Amino acid sequence: MKPRIAIYDFTDCEGCEIKIISLREKLLLLEKKVEIVNWRLGQEKFEPGPYDIVVIEGTPITQHEIDVLKELRNNTPVLIALGACAALGGIPAIMPEKDRKYWYEKIYTSQYHPRGIDAVPLSAYVPVDFVIHGCPVDENEVVRVVEELLSGKKPSFRGYSVCFECKLAGNPCRLLENKPCLGPITQGGCRAICVSGGSPCYGCFGIREEANISALEKILGKEEIEKYLAMFHSRSKL
Amino acid sequence: MITNEFIAKIEGHGSLKVDWDNNKVKLHVHEGERLFEGILMGRTAEEAHWITPRICGVCPIAHNLASLAAVENALGIKINETAKLLRDLMKSGQMIQSHVLHLFFLALPDYIGLDRGTELVKKDKKSFAKTLALKEMADEIAYVSAGRNVHPTTTTIGGFHKIPAKKDLEKLLKKIKETEKDAEWCREFFSGLNYPELKVDLELLVQKDGKIVSNKGTSVAIEEYKQNLEEELRDYSTAKFGKFQGREIMVGALARLALKKNKNYKLNFSNPFHNNLAQAVEIFEFTKEAEGIIEKLLKMEMDATIAKSSENATLKGIGAVEAPRGGLYHEIHLDQNNFITYANIITPTVQNLTSIEKSAQALLEQFKEKSIKEKEKLLNMLVRAYDPCITCSVH
Repeated sequence: MKPRIAIYDFTDCEGCEIKIISLREKLLLLEKKVEIVNWRLGQEKFEPGPYDIVVIEGTPITQHEIDVLKELRNNTPVLIALGACAALGGIPAIMPEKDRKYWYEKIYTSQYHPRGIDAVPLSAYVPVDFVIHGCPVDENEVVRVVEELLSGKKPSFRGYSVCFECKLAGNPCRLLENKPCLGPITQGGCRAICVSGGSPCYGCFGIREEANISALEKILGKEEIEKYLAMFHSRSKL
Repeated sequence: MITNEFIAKIEGHGSLKVDWDNNKVKLHVHEGERLFEGILMGRTAEEAHWITPRICGVCPIAHNLASLAAVENALGIKINETAKLLRDLMKSGQMIQSHVLHLFFLALPDYIGLDRGTELVKKDKKSFAKTLALKEMADEIAYVSAGRNVHPTTTTIGGFHKIPAKKDLEKLLKKIKETEKDAEWCREFFSGLNYPELKVDLELLVQKDGKIVSNKGTSVAIEEYKQNLEEELRDYSTAKFGKFQGREIMVGALARLALKKNKNYKLNFSNPFHNNLAQAVEIFEFTKEAEGIIEKLLKMEMDATIAKSSENATLKGIGAVEAPRGGLYHEIHLDQNNFITYANIITPTVQNLTSIEKSAQALLEQFKEKSIKEKEKLLNMLVRAYDPCITCSVH
């Protein structure tokens, strides 16, 4: 029997799901190996759990999402965080919990009854079995991780930093040009796509375990590194 | 027990609550608030167009362009012709990307009795191949011009970090020309579908030549967007509900074609279901537009210079963009050091939410004889026809 997969999206932009759809033909190949029994964005069909694998995109920001997350965790052997919001908190986590009240009043008025509690990664509430990093994720990395899971392996991160892929892409080094970049301390797998487009690397693919942050601090300075980390990592533990 | 209480196949979390005894319908929006206007506060001008695309993964390019336009207006920057054309190319790609996703993966299953969009491969392999070709072409336009299909990487204040090489544009043009027939097929295919016959007195609104124009004859300057597009709070929604001068309005593909006076393809501008057909027509139009832009770029000397700030910048700017789902507004204010001191974002779906409820009400009245189950199905189809982006509407 094919493994039954459920794809959930909590509060977020849904860009990582769009990346899955942009797999096109490869999505069909994936559908041959697994059965997607629940995917609100993609289908009406909704089979109740338990599921073999649950993939969750987004931050559990409302009480409803937190409850669903906990229930899914209790009944699922493999729970995967998809993308920066689920894995790190990402862009929504830039908003500190203590400032939410002020912004609710400013954006909605004081009459408003907010639903959002705080934007944090899934791991703030439950253990997560694997994270697929990225804002957005790289669709080919999604395929790789699912295939590794299906073949009974525990998926692994790429054993190199963004710099390795950046060199392969033929980009001049931003640091040598005195431009800020978190590439040296960031997990590879993104194909250095932001730097190739001329943007800085903000580390959305996650900080490498053995990252030499102090060496990068010498080049960029602590303040500059923190400023760049604040884009996706304001709530993740380094 | 976890149940599927949300409307499937729309971007974000919403549900319709119908009071069958009184024939009243409300669109509940459950999406969590991310408070993007607050997130932007205190960050640098250069980060605005990096952060705002993350409002929505379906129309990130539209947000990127709106933020860039707002900041460039605030800094008194005029971008050069190359940058202007490349941004128009990004927009064409965005329109096709978003419309193809919506039509084939979210809306079409309703009309031909499928569940997931990829099931089309079993029913009609050739049509599915055409769908994928369109999706691939649109993503390719985004990759070449914006650096990635979701969340752009190449744009910067004043122009582009990197502009595409002519050989990449030539390759892209070849691909678009090969796919043009599929865009034409898509338009014919959606002209042939049976749309539920709903009649609603729709006021359709678009951005045109620096103005916000209604098909009922009203027009106001873009600068007056805030006074004219009011947003109301509803206790059942985390998104605000927008109105234009106090009236329900519909924005998006159907509105754009109404104001273009496009009389082709039997578009009925009083039937919101025809928004699907309008999107299919636009897929073809934006495919042709992308071709034209690339041909222009290939003929000219492309200029990679990034335009600089003006000395007498007002530090307050509005960026208005016709996004796939309609008029999008970003307003950004900066301090002397280019830090953001104010941000306001009004999305197309906020403007459409009020109209969705109005049309749902009309549907209940005009399809009285149908069973509750049939009415529920039609209501879901109606919501999908508006192609709401709930994630955008809450932001």
